[in-house]
Amino acid sequence: MLKAITSFSRQLLARFREPVLPAPDPPEVEALRLTFKSRFHSFKLLLAANTRVLESMADLQRALQGEEPFSTAFVQARCTSISVNVFRMINDMENIAPAKYSELRQSFAAIQRRIDALLSARKHHSDPRLVIPLEAVNSDMADLVGGKMANLGDVKNRLHMRVPSGFVITAAAHEMFMAADGLQKEVDRLFQVAGSDADRNLDLVSSQIRQRIMSADVPEPIYLAVVEAYEQMKKQTNGQEVRMAVRSSAHGEDAENSSFAGQYRSELNVTFHQFFYYYKQIMASKYSVQAIAYKLNRGFRDEDIAMCVGCLTMIDAVAGGVIYSKNPLDSWDDAIYINSTWGLPKSVVDGDDLSDLFVVARDEPLTILRREIQEKGYQIVCFEDEGCIRKQTRDELKNRPSLTDDQVRMLADHAIRIEQYYEGPQDIEWTLNSNGDIFILQSRPLQQVESIQPPADLDLQPFATSLLIDGAINVSPGVASGKVFKVAKRVDILQFPEGSVLVVEQALPAWAPLIARAAAVISEQGGFAGHLANVAREFGVPALFGARGAMTTLENKEIITVAADLGRVYRGSLDVLLQWRRPTPRLMIGSPVYEMLRAVSDHIIPLHLLDPESPDFSPNKCQTFHDITRFIHEKSVLEMFSFGKNHSFSERSSKQLYYHVPMNWWILNLDDGYTHEIKGKYVKLEEIASIPMLAFWDGFAAVSWDGPPAMDGRGLTSIMFRSTMNPALAPGMRSKYADRNYFMISKHYCTLSSRLGYHFSTMEAMVSERSRENYLGFKFKGGAADFKRCLGRLHFIKEILERYGFQAVVNADNLNARMEGHDMEYMLSRLKILGYLTLHTRQLDMIMNNTAAVNYYLTKLTKDIDTLLGEHLNP
Amino acid sequence: MEKKKGIKVLLVDDEDVFRETTARQLAIRGFDVLTAESGEAALALVKNDPPEVVVLDLEMPGMHGSETFVEIKKNDPHVEVIILTGNTNVDSAIELIQQGIFDYLMKPINIDELLYKIEDAFTRKKLKEKQHYDFGM
Repeated sequence: MLKAITSFSRQLLARFREPVLPAPDPPEVEALRLTFKSRFHSFKLLLAANTRVLESMADLQRALQGEEPFSTAFVQARCTSISVNVFRMINDMENIAPAKYSELRQSFAAIQRRIDALLSARKHHSDPRLVIPLEAVNSDMADLVGGKMANLGDVKNRLHMRVPSGFVITAAAHEMFMAADGLQKEVDRLFQVAGSDADRNLDLVSSQIRQRIMSADVPEPIYLAVVEAYEQMKKQTNGQEVRMAVRSSAHGEDAENSSFAGQYRSELNVTFHQFFYYYKQIMASKYSVQAIAYKLNRGFRDEDIAMCVGCLTMIDAVAGGVIYSKNPLDSWDDAIYINSTWGLPKSVVDGDDLSDLFVVARDEPLTILRREIQEKGYQIVCFEDEGCIRKQTRDELKNRPSLTDDQVRMLADHAIRIEQYYEGPQDIEWTLNSNGDIFILQSRPLQQVESIQPPADLDLQPFATSLLIDGAINVSPGVASGKVFKVAKRVDILQFPEGSVLVVEQALPAWAPLIARAAAVISEQGGFAGHLANVAREFGVPALFGARGAMTTLENKEIITVAADLGRVYRGSLDVLLQWRRPTPRLMIGSPVYEMLRAVSDHIIPLHLLDPESPDFSPNKCQTFHDITRFIHEKSVLEMFSFGKNHSFSERSSKQLYYHVPMNWWILNLDDGYTHEIKGKYVKLEEIASIPMLAFWDGFAAVSWDGPPAMDGRGLTSIMFRSTMNPALAPGMRSKYADRNYFMISKHYCTLSSRLGYHFSTMEAMVSERSRENYLGFKFKGGAADFKRCLGRLHFIKEILERYGFQAVVNADNLNARMEGHDMEYMLSRLKILGYLTLHTRQLDMIMNNTAAVNYYLTKLTKDIDTLLGEHLNP
Repeated sequence: MEKKKGIKVLLVDDEDVFRETTARQLAIRGFDVLTAESGEAALALVKNDPPEVVVLDLEMPGMHGSETFVEIKKNDPHVEVIILTGNTNVDSAIELIQQGIFDYLMKPINIDELLYKIEDAFTRKKLKEKQHYDFGM
């Protein structure tokens, strides 16, 4: 870096030595002035574009930390913005220095090609079949029929268990449906327009997209293929109309560690007459509020997910439910957990009522370890005409077990066989018809979490009076504390404060979008087999269901501690319990969207062009967009300097600053940096109109310099040594130009290249009412002391700058500090600090081995700065 | 609010709510705003009442924004055109910049940012006109 700045000064000096053209005629001056104005305009646009690129890169870097969810639309919008602005910088550079850096275009094109390849990875399906009968489906076809139907095909055709007959509308059909009338393009547009703040606009985006899908026509080839498949189904019922269960089978829905199931819509008891309406409903459910929120929070790419749809003969169920072939809350427990209720299994999945639980040990013969028979107040049954209804269970059935012991053992046996086939624990949905036949409706991998058992000697007796709820069902382990927020209707979702404890009456899938923002969940109804419980486990959010009376016992805004493993809720924040809190899983890291961002960032963010003096500092060595912007920024500043120097017309020549006396400061006016046209070789401070320069000068001149700090013998030797090595450093040996400090100014822009004593600093500032374009850059390096002490000074300055809000880094032997996007007043106050530091850090490198002196100067400098800003950090 | 008198802006977008809201926001900030809901309507307008800066959507029923851009430029080569679109596409963005649009912006956009872009586009237009008329550059 020292080399860089020396050479920068050298280049400047070279410009000075170039023969200056004779003064041109007035019309030529006018033409020159205009050319200069036009170049300066390009330069300003270039700086603004550069700021936008850096801003978008900072957004990408923040996203790469993996702490916040983001979507493909976010990555695409940021990448496009970066590409567009880099390309504009190349154009602006071309206006400033025509044909000089045209190789930049090739570098740009090469980088852009690599990025395009990573961003445009929408899958196309090679198998053109639109509809496939379930008899022909197996798990190798997940890409075409979705995971849920692919697995069901296996259960039917390879395990030969009872599965309703039916067919699947494929991913190829989904692609055809979305391509018709530019539907997919419209969906992408709606996502982009919603912006990155998607959470707030979620309801709107979701409803707009679903409306578009519902009003689209089903393409004729899909229609004809479905009619044919339905006619085949009818043949099995002797030509009678068939009622269908129409179920989503989207890509990724059955993947391990994801609880997609339940995000999408399934319709039961559908007649053919209404079929296409429900088909579109299911296609649209890919964009339900909970599905969008879920994809966003898990980092799934919308374009990876094709919505396949399974159409199965409706089974008029007597009972139904969900089997977990192992304990989802304890990976050591291999008992089989069967949740069951009267009627269709829907109410178990939806978590809107209590259900029976049977726990079966894998003994020979199978042994029922536990029966938890609940009061099943409601059941869901098929309507005679179409659809389903939630109705009250007949009194004599309410408290009776929904399964006989034989049926329990049969179901356990099914679960074991399916688990063995897939070589892993399974989550199985089943139903029982009036003949007592078991039908499997779906099977997918079960996610298991570790239980956190409290230590046996933990004494909770002192908190007995704070116990609010006891005996609730642990559906997702862990401990958390937060304020109660009760949600009763959809509209409450919008007001849910981040980090609150979600309290609901029913564990409905509709509450799923809140899970990622909740500290814990408490529901009066529901069990651990429901969808909401799945999502809570996936996001590592503690959850207690079956917490009777929670909606009345708990008060909104009161602080509580949820200890899911104990099935308890306490009033207040109990540290004794909170110490078992487990870290929240960072779900974005490793997700498809995250990986896409990481891959793309490699072509955008890394900076290889570090040293402007290196032969590698050239357009064809730019490997990333950051390299291109770095190169252009460096060269554009030089070009702007050289233009003013090479063309001698009075107001563009540099002038010497006159501040009480002629100063060693030289000023080049780029545009409107003076209050009026200045004749002669001096410009007075009051004639300067540059807002950033005046602020810098304010700080520079505010406190007089005490002179160099007292030096020891070693310090003196060091200066003498370095002066010998570099004659320009020796005060007596200065060349005419070596000690000049240059400002380039316009009303809102200022750049400074200065050398005071033995250090070099450059400063660049753009400050106007346009807060978003405002920025300050400051670089500092050099010194007369040894490397260690020079480095000490860099860290000393870094610490001060960081204290006042700069982002600063020390690389090798130089300090780089930045600040951007603040309003004008704030930026100007920070410029004052830079002015002050430019003067007062002179020769401080010499005392960097003396801790007491360092502390003295740190206190003095910050005190001066606080006085300067009128801020008193420690009143 | 400082008045930006003299900057006549044409806003072309088929989405009624967006077009009317944005037009109102720009008008409040002192711009002289015309609106058109399609490429065809925009062309009819620029012939009678030429704007200085055009803010143009790309995906519209009927004439596409990129075609509208070409036609607008044929009518008046000095008018500056800013693309403001909801459909991100880098290739078309680069191509349009090469063809001479002033900038390619993406929805959603902060109104102040749009305002700055319009001002910058207007400055460029004035500079180019001056070079063209005074010096034939």
